[in-house]
Amino acid sequence: MLMQDRKGLLLLLLLFALLMSQSAVVAEDSLVVVMGSDSDVERLTLEQVVHIFLGRFRRLPNGLTATPIDRPQDQSLMTDFYQLLVGKSPAEIRSYWSRLIFSGKTAPPRQAESGQEVVRWLAETPGAIAYMRPDECPPQLRVVLRLGP
Amino acid sequence: MRARWHQSILIRAGLALLALLLLFGAITVGINLSYNQARAEQTTEERLSQLLDTVESTASIACFTQDEILAQELIAGLLRNSEVLSVAVEADDQPLASLNRGANEGTLAEASSTPILVREIYSPFSPQMRVGRILLTPNQALIKANLQRETRIAMLQTALQTLLAMLAFAAAILMLIIRPITAISDRLHRMNAAEGERIPIPAGHQGSEIGLLVQDVNRLADRLVETLEEERRLRIQHAVDEQRYHAIFNNAETGLFIIDERGYLSSWNPAFARLMEFPPEAETLAQRSLFELAWSEQGRFTELLLGCIDADQSRSAELGYRLKDDSQRWLSMVLTPIADESIQGVIYDVTQHLEAERSAKRSAVTDRATGLANQLGLEQQAKELAQACDLHEGGGFALVLLNLDNFTRISEGLDPAASNAILQEAAKRLCSNVKGSDLVARISECQFALLLAEIQRALDVEHIMERALHALQQPLVVASSTVKLQVSEGIALYPQDTDANITTLIQHANLALSHGGSGQLRRMRFFNPGLARLAEDRYRLETALHQAIELDQFVLFYQPIVDIGQGRLVGAEALIRWKHPQRGLVPPDSFIPLAEETGFINEMGLWVLEQAGHQLAAWKRAGLERYLSVNVSAHQIPSQLTPEYLEDLAQRLSFEPSRLGLEITEGVLIGDVGEVQTWLEAVRDRGFLVYLDDFGTGYSSLSYLKRFRVDRLKIDKSFIRDLSNDLSDQALVQAVMSIAHSFELEVIAEGVEDPRQVRLLRDMGCRYAQGYVFSPPVAIEAFTEVSERIPKLFDAIAMETSP
Repeated sequence: MLMQDRKGLLLLLLLFALLMSQSAVVAEDSLVVVMGSDSDVERLTLEQVVHIFLGRFRRLPNGLTATPIDRPQDQSLMTDFYQLLVGKSPAEIRSYWSRLIFSGKTAPPRQAESGQEVVRWLAETPGAIAYMRPDECPPQLRVVLRLGP
Repeated sequence: MRARWHQSILIRAGLALLALLLLFGAITVGINLSYNQARAEQTTEERLSQLLDTVESTASIACFTQDEILAQELIAGLLRNSEVLSVAVEADDQPLASLNRGANEGTLAEASSTPILVREIYSPFSPQMRVGRILLTPNQALIKANLQRETRIAMLQTALQTLLAMLAFAAAILMLIIRPITAISDRLHRMNAAEGERIPIPAGHQGSEIGLLVQDVNRLADRLVETLEEERRLRIQHAVDEQRYHAIFNNAETGLFIIDERGYLSSWNPAFARLMEFPPEAETLAQRSLFELAWSEQGRFTELLLGCIDADQSRSAELGYRLKDDSQRWLSMVLTPIADESIQGVIYDVTQHLEAERSAKRSAVTDRATGLANQLGLEQQAKELAQACDLHEGGGFALVLLNLDNFTRISEGLDPAASNAILQEAAKRLCSNVKGSDLVARISECQFALLLAEIQRALDVEHIMERALHALQQPLVVASSTVKLQVSEGIALYPQDTDANITTLIQHANLALSHGGSGQLRRMRFFNPGLARLAEDRYRLETALHQAIELDQFVLFYQPIVDIGQGRLVGAEALIRWKHPQRGLVPPDSFIPLAEETGFINEMGLWVLEQAGHQLAAWKRAGLERYLSVNVSAHQIPSQLTPEYLEDLAQRLSFEPSRLGLEITEGVLIGDVGEVQTWLEAVRDRGFLVYLDDFGTGYSSLSYLKRFRVDRLKIDKSFIRDLSNDLSDQALVQAVMSIAHSFELEVIAEGVEDPRQVRLLRDMGCRYAQGYVFSPPVAIEAFTEVSERIPKLFDAIAMETSP
């Protein structure tokens, strides 16, 4: 138990350090979580976003199934996102998903090739949800959550 | 001797050890069991917890995503561990997946009662967010089985250790203790200690407890052998002693025996049988009691035995024993209590001894000459009578002392046998005149005594004694001559005349006797208290007299002796006077006889001589030629006043012996003729003068004057007193004068009181005179004056003659 406590403490410290460094990064690089503007979802909480992106619950408040979209080609964005969202690196996220892929019950977010594809999917797939830098966010998209400062 | 198996040290120690080890083992196993179980549970829990740690991240993901497949995968992985019985995963409090080990009913049932390990699962992204939990049921049956197996092994191990320890212990006991002890024991059985055999110390046991034990046993054996040796020596000694004592017992002349308290004999020696006249076969006879023997007085033996038992002390007595020939044997018996309520007796024949003693006793109280009782016998008898009188009040007896006054004189001329005959005759006459019960005793040479019993009054005694006296005084013929005894007697009565003391009674009778002797007619005299007083007075006087010289109470008085032919003083007679502080001037008649009786006269005489000597010396120094004469008592001659003493005195005081005259009486000449004659001659040879005093009063005999040479005669005053008127006295004095002249003796007339007598005497040719006509005896201080007066006085006397 002691070891676990110590481990937990270490973990906590590490997490804290990460958050601190993140905040420095986020100061410039805040992100937004967006959905198609036709969706009647106005706002989502951070928790709801976590559940959606990490496959826990994918049901939106309006009853639709949410479809999260990842941006693996924009590595820095993805890194920033997960860093801001759950404080984990993309590798950790990949490892996470690799365990789940085996059962096949929950799938990882859809892998978009590019920003355009993200926008497209957001438009055509009801319940699609993605993240991006605020400056590249087209106006038809609705920001449901703002991450970062 | 071998120890029985259940008493053997080995078995007992083994059993004790076994019990101890079993107890110890049980406790160890018990502690192990409970400890192991707790430990096993804890380690199982730890192991399972670690197992859960390995799947925690996966579980976290599975729960987060509520992925049953992943959860089942995870469970399957856990179940691969045999200690896990079943696992269930819950996500958000809903069962996600669960799986049991394909097990039977029993394990399931058991599983329900066992605790379940629960691990809470948190979200992989938010440590605060609980997303589910894992419920793990451990396989208790397996754990328990493992535990039991372990316990069994432990027990087996313990049992093995115990067994080994016991074996080692048994071997040690056997080798180190039991075998040496057995060896010692065997050796002890075979050992002959008296021969000096001892137990060797088992190898390797020098200094060990067993070695010390062996040494102790050996030492004990040494001591036992010594003690036995001593015991044997004592036994031999005892046997020798016993034999010796037995010999003494058998050969003793003294009878020895042992009786019990009822007098029954248990053993006796031959001497006892002899003394008691037991038949020879008495040894074989049944017990007999000393009470059954022929004691003269059974009571005395009973008293002796009971006295001995009661006092628990030795008691002795002399017992009479009747012999078969009817004579009596006297036995002295000593009884001594010994152990076991027995009494040891010693007995011996004292018949001869007793008879000798009796005859000695008899002779001690018997007068040999007469066969009568002697002084001792009289006293004994008187004491018995006195006791009898004291018992029967009103009784009394008389003690009569009879003195044969002339017996000494009579017996002088007789041979002893004739004297005895007189005494025997006197005894016979006395005995025939008193009652048979009265005692007649002869208590000294010439004294008899009578004890007259049952006498109440003096008159009764008087009657009896008159008769007895009469009989005694009858003439008796001894050695063909007739003798008449003169008897005086003194009588004292019991109890009147004594203070209940027989000695006093005899004294009082003696007093009566001595006073009775003085009266010529009345020879019988009763004691009266006056006699006692007289005797007491006399005693006082005697005491005082003895102190008189020391106290300087004597003085010499001098009476002048005058030459009546020439009318001048020629000397004096020295006369002793006693100036007693209370009695005054005691007359010589009162103390001279007493001094003579008590022998004090010798001392007194010497004192007188000493004083006279001094006076003569004084006169000599003064140039006066005077004679001084002193009286010499018959007691002083010849041995008390020796001629040598006189000579020495004269030399010492330096006076002329021829000036000292020794006046002796005719009585002196009656004593031992030869001795007196020798004395007289010796005295006169030394120059001293001898005067014959009181001439004419005693047994004056002309033959004396012839045999005993003296220097002067002193005519007794009784002849002078009536000289003037009595013609016969004149004739007598005349005759004395002519005798004196014929013997060439000078004559001194005593008691001359008037001038006529002086003239008569002068005319008769008497040369010297002394008397009141010239001067009474005077103290020396007055003598000078007297001596000066005498010539004038004589002139006056002479003048009376001239007209």
